[in-house]
Amino acid sequence: MKLNTPMTRRESIKKMLRISSGIALSATASLASPLSAPAAKKSGMIIEGVGKTDGYSIKTLTRNVFDAAGGINRFISKGDVVVIKPNISWAKKPEFAATTNPDVLAAVVELCREAGAKKIRIADNTIHDARRCFALSGAGKIAKETGAELVYPRSSMMKEMKITGNRLDGDWPVFVPLVEADKIINLPVAKSHSLSTLTLGMKNWIGGVDGNRWGLHQNIHETIVDLARFFKPTVTLIDAIRIMTRNGPSGGSLSDVKTKNTLILSEDPVAADAVATKLFGLKPEKIGFIRLGQKRGLGTYDLDKLNKKRVVL
Amino acid sequence: MKARHLVWLRRMSQVAFLFLFLFLLIGSRLPADIYLEGAESDIRLNQPVTFFFELDPLVGISSLLSGQHFTSGWFIAVLVLTLVLGRVFCGFICPLGTLHHFIGWVKPALKGKRQVAANQKTKSQRIKYFLLIFFLVGSVAGLNLTGLMDPMAFLFRSLALAVLPGLGVGAREIVGWLAARDAKLLNELGYNMETLLSPVFGFSNPAFQTAWFMGLLFLTVLFLNRIRPRFWCRILCPLGALLGVCSRVGILKLEKYDDNCTHCTRCDKQCQGAASPRPGQAWETSECLACFNCFDVCPEDALKFTLRLTPGLNRKTDMGRRAVLGGVAAGISMPLLGRLDGRIDKVSDARLIRPPGSVSENKFLDRCQRCGLCMKACPTNVINPTLGEAGMAGFWTPRLIMTQGYCDHTCTLCGSVCPTGAIENITAKEKIEKPVKIGSAYLDRGRCLPWSGNGPCIVCEEHCPTSPKAIYLKQETITRADGKPMKVRLPFVDLRRCVGCGICENKCPVRGLPAIRTISAGETRSAKNRLLL
Repeated sequence: MKLNTPMTRRESIKKMLRISSGIALSATASLASPLSAPAAKKSGMIIEGVGKTDGYSIKTLTRNVFDAAGGINRFISKGDVVVIKPNISWAKKPEFAATTNPDVLAAVVELCREAGAKKIRIADNTIHDARRCFALSGAGKIAKETGAELVYPRSSMMKEMKITGNRLDGDWPVFVPLVEADKIINLPVAKSHSLSTLTLGMKNWIGGVDGNRWGLHQNIHETIVDLARFFKPTVTLIDAIRIMTRNGPSGGSLSDVKTKNTLILSEDPVAADAVATKLFGLKPEKIGFIRLGQKRGLGTYDLDKLNKKRVVL
Repeated sequence: MKARHLVWLRRMSQVAFLFLFLFLLIGSRLPADIYLEGAESDIRLNQPVTFFFELDPLVGISSLLSGQHFTSGWFIAVLVLTLVLGRVFCGFICPLGTLHHFIGWVKPALKGKRQVAANQKTKSQRIKYFLLIFFLVGSVAGLNLTGLMDPMAFLFRSLALAVLPGLGVGAREIVGWLAARDAKLLNELGYNMETLLSPVFGFSNPAFQTAWFMGLLFLTVLFLNRIRPRFWCRILCPLGALLGVCSRVGILKLEKYDDNCTHCTRCDKQCQGAASPRPGQAWETSECLACFNCFDVCPEDALKFTLRLTPGLNRKTDMGRRAVLGGVAAGISMPLLGRLDGRIDKVSDARLIRPPGSVSENKFLDRCQRCGLCMKACPTNVINPTLGEAGMAGFWTPRLIMTQGYCDHTCTLCGSVCPTGAIENITAKEKIEKPVKIGSAYLDRGRCLPWSGNGPCIVCEEHCPTSPKAIYLKQETITRADGKPMKVRLPFVDLRRCVGCGICENKCPVRGLPAIRTISAGETRSAKNRLLL
C-alpha cells in the first residue's frame, strides 16, 4: 500500500475510535471530543511577541507567546510524537539569520517536553550537507543539550507520497519524519528570497520534500501553497528575532541582517506569513504565495478577521 | 624474552595498529553530531587522522626532499627505531603489511617444498630498491610520485575510496529495500541500520573517479600473496626498501648455531621476508621483517635473535647495480617526461579545480601524496582523484567535480587534514574574507532555462553563497517559442565576487552538463590563471 495521506498509527486509531464512538454514543459525544475543535478555531488567532527590553530572554518570550495562545498544552498532548521543522537549510552560523534561531528552537523543544511529548524530533531536508548545517546552525548543539532527536535526512527516509495540488499533482518523495508524527510545529526563520521575495512559514515546506526541488522553483508560489496544504502543521511559529533583509535565502553578510526581536505564532499559516511580511515593510497581498494561500482556502491575510494579541517583554 | 612471547607481542601490536589505522580512516569524516563551540572556531576533526602519514618515513623524506615540507617528528622516531632494531615497523606496525601477513597466515597458498621454495630470496626483491631510488631521485628532481606506492597512501586510498564505498553500495541496497517495506519492524530496522552504516560507509553513496581501478589494484596486490607470502613487502614496497637500507646498522642480529640445525626448513616455511634464516645461509638483514617466526618455530635452538653490543655492520643490502642505476635514470627522466604534456608550462586543464587553500601547481605536485585523505574527509564528496586533468604527473591528485558536490563556502576541512601541506590549513574567515578563490563560474546561455527562453529559473542565484551574491539577475523581456513576449530574470556572473565554489553548477536543473559551470580560471593560487586585474 502506498501512503497517500500523512496519517500516523495514532491518528488512525483515533479515527477508528471516533467512528465507533459516533455509532455508540450518538453525535453529542463526538462534539465534545477535542477533534471537533477546528470549528472553534475558525475565528483564528495570531500572537505577536516582541522583546523590547535589553537582554530579554528569548526562552521567556517564546513561552509567553505560547501562553498567550492558550498554553503549549493546547497544541501538544501528553504522549505525542512531535516533529519540529526549523529552517536549517544552509550551513551558516545563527547570526546570519539564514537559519532558525537556536534559542527559539531550544525553547520550543523544552515547552514540548513540559507538555509531556513522548518524542521530540527536529527534522529538515537541508540544502547544504546536513552535517554542516546541524553543526553551524546550532541545531546539533540544541539536540544534544535538550535530548531531542535530530533526524539526519537519509535517502531511506524519503518516501513517495501522493500530493494533490494545483501544480504538484502526483507522487513526490517526502521526508517521512515530517508526516509520521502526531503534531507538527513549523518553525521557520523570516528572510528574503530572491525568487519568492520572502521565505517564511509556508515556503519552509520545500525543505520537507526531496526529489527535483529545483523544478518546484519554476512555479514557486503555486508549489509553496500545494506543499503547505499537504503538510498541515499544528502550529506555525515564525522566528523573526533576526531577519535577513536581502541576499536571501543564503545571505552571508551581517549587513543583510536586521534585529526585530519578534516571534509570530498562529495556527493559520497564511496569517502568520502575512504578519511576518510586514516586518520587511512589504504588503502581504503583494506576495504571491500569501495571496494564493488565501485563495486556496489555507487561511487569511486579512488580519482584521483574526483575534490578534501582542506580547511585549 | 622467549621467542613465543615475542611472536605474540608482534601479533598484538599488529592487530592494535591495524585497528588504529581503520579507526582513524573511518574517523576521517565529518560526524553527524558535531557542533561549533565558539563563534570564530572552524569545524575540525577530533582524531589525529594524519597519524600514520606522520609516522611514515617515506612520506616524510620525500616531502622534505621535494616540497621542503616537514611533516612531523614521528617519522624520525621510526627511522631511529629502524636504525637500532631493523624493520620492526614492517613486522609490528605497518597495517598494509599486517593485512598481507594475515592473508598468508589464514590460508597459506603453498605447502611443503613449494613453500620453502617460495620463501627463498630472489633477485626480484631488488625491484623495491629500484622503486625507492626512483621515487627519491624523482622527488629531488621535481616529481614526487611516492604516494602512488607508499604503503600508507596506497592502503588509505584503496580502503577509503574503493573498498568502503563499494561495500557501502551493497549495504545501502539492503537498507533501502528494508526501509521501503510497509511492515513497521523492517522499516525501523532499515532506518536504524542506515544510522549505523552511514558513518562508516558514507552518508550518501560516495563516488570517486577511477575508484574501480583502485579497488582492482588493491585486490591484485592482496592476491599476490598467493604467489609469494607478503609479495608486496618483499618485492614492491618502497618504504620497506628504505627501512631495509637503514637496518644495516641495527644492533638486532640473528645468531645461527649450525651444529644444532637438522635442516627441517621450518624457519624457511615461516619466513615472511625471504631473508634466508636457515643456518648455513647468510641472514639478509635488509629483507628481514622482524616477525620472529624463525626464532619461534626452530625446535633445535639453532636460531636466536640477540642484540649486538659491539660496533659493526650487518650484511650489505642486496640492491644490485641495475636497480640503483635504473632508479636514478628513471628518477631523472620521469620529472622531465611529466612536463611534456604542458600542464605546468603551457596551459592547465580548465577542469583542474584544486581544493581551497591548495598551493601553486608546481609546489602542489611536490607535496601531494595522493593519499585520498581530503577526498575521504570532504562532506560533499566534491573532491575526486584526477585521471588526466592534472597530466601524468598529477595522476590521482585531488580535483573538484562540481556535478558531484560543491565546495561549501564556510568549510575548510580538506586543508586541516592534508598530511603534507599541499592544501594549506586555512580558516573559514580567511577563505571568505580574502577570499580564497578556486575558480570561477560561467554561463552557458544556450542551455540556461531563462536565457534560452524556456522558462523562469533562479536556482544558481539562490544558492550563490557570497554576499553580495556573485550571480545576479536582470529582468528582461524575451520572445518565447510561440512568439509571445515573456518577462524573465536572466542570471549573470560577477567575476569579481565569484569564488568558484561550484554550488551553482551542482544545483543547476540542467543535469549532466549544467548551464552554469565552473573552471579553474581566476584561482587565487595561480598568478598565471588570474582573470581580472
